[in-house]
Amino acid sequence: MEWNWSVIVEYQELFIRGLWMTIQLTVVAVVAGLFIGLILGLMRLSDKAWLRLPAVAYVDLFRGTPLLLQILAVHFAVLPALFQDVLGLPAPDAATSSFIALSLNAGAYIAEIFRGGIQSIDKGQMEAARSLGMTYRQAMKLVVLPQAFKRMLPPLGNEFIALLKDSSLVTVIAVNDITYAAFATAKNTFVRWPPYITAALVYLVLTLVLSRLVGYMERRLDPNGRKG
Amino acid sequence: MRKKGILFAALAVILSGLLTGCGGQSQTKADNVIQVGTNAEFPPFEFQEGNGEISGFDAELIRAIGKAVGMEVQITHMGFDAIFEGLSRDKVDVGVAAITITDDRKQTVDFTAPYFDAKQYILVPKNSNIKTLKELKGKKIGVQAATTGEAVVQGVFGKTYEGIKAYDETPSAINDLQIGRLDAVVVDSAVVVEFNKKLGEGKFNIVEDNSLPVEQYGMAVKKGNKDMLNKLNEGLKKVKENGEYDKIYQKYFGDHK
Repeated sequence: MEWNWSVIVEYQELFIRGLWMTIQLTVVAVVAGLFIGLILGLMRLSDKAWLRLPAVAYVDLFRGTPLLLQILAVHFAVLPALFQDVLGLPAPDAATSSFIALSLNAGAYIAEIFRGGIQSIDKGQMEAARSLGMTYRQAMKLVVLPQAFKRMLPPLGNEFIALLKDSSLVTVIAVNDITYAAFATAKNTFVRWPPYITAALVYLVLTLVLSRLVGYMERRLDPNGRKG
Repeated sequence: MRKKGILFAALAVILSGLLTGCGGQSQTKADNVIQVGTNAEFPPFEFQEGNGEISGFDAELIRAIGKAVGMEVQITHMGFDAIFEGLSRDKVDVGVAAITITDDRKQTVDFTAPYFDAKQYILVPKNSNIKTLKELKGKKIGVQAATTGEAVVQGVFGKTYEGIKAYDETPSAINDLQIGRLDAVVVDSAVVVEFNKKLGEGKFNIVEDNSLPVEQYGMAVKKGNKDMLNKLNEGLKKVKENGEYDKIYQKYFGDHK
């Protein structure tokens, strides 16, 4: 067993670049995923089949296939076909492929969180708002969504943490995230423990920060200071 | 109570089955079997046939060596990194996976006499006029992680050079070169010959940079395992003398030396 910690110093640039890349991947996928998820979640609740069914199919597809496969497919098949064959442009780089694949995947899970959150709000809220003369859009925006968002925060927090860790899969298309840094260091030096532990600690710190952030928002959004 | 008794009995049977199963496995590591670890994703040196059997230059060579010294050969695909772990834990006797003999690796394993000379080739798009690795400064260069190709690029541009894109396997790097995301790929010469055959000749320019080191492949055994090392060296000598080595070489690499 090799415990040579100096390899971390030797390969520190990979870890620093990796930290930055993992943060970028998570932030982009969270923001884009929230956007995709909100739209798809609302589409799923629509009583119009042409809105609902595509959203159902999307969620089934992206939730029902492995993220690893989605990353490889987006990177090696979908984007090259779309950009080179259809648009006649150079295919985007691996980081862009990763942003797109992670966002699409997160969107599917977040759509379900939004749908569940909205459905958990008593129908009477929507009916009362409508009876006061609000349009569906106004009632959704001003009455239902604010209440639903509070309930969605814990599962959203889960999803963000899962996303942060799942971003490690982009290593397979040679994107220099934290996991890539650990793998590269381990493979080049045959020293295993220090790079793995370093990467694990970085993920742990990031997920802790993220979960505290979500926890803070949960408390902020609860006017009575109640827990849960 | 009775039900519980049956449950425990069933558990005991299962457990004892598992235990004897494990015991049985370690017993199969008999004296006349060479357990070989490889990474069967590196054609033409080692790859899996459609029926799951491991074949390739390395596989045929070690089988020939086994025959020459009167030992059975069992080849297991375990991934390149796992070979070294497997050697140190005695899961396998020898690693045969186009392993380049390096001073670094010599600290963890012992090597047989070299059995193959490998050069590093630079693969570039058809329209590129790159002649040497140094000209690729600032460009994106694909390699397979932990291979000599990566070491060569690291040697020129630094260990943490941002342009190094280290993939888990070479086909992905070649794919990204094809798609245009990479400016070059640095790989073993023998592998290039194989890929060119598959993709159709003339898709890439193969650049031979004479400043790049020539590598030698060796078979790796656990440090201090003299018995196995001597046997392998003896076998290697025999197959080189009796023409078996040349036959296998011819089959995989033709006259491309």
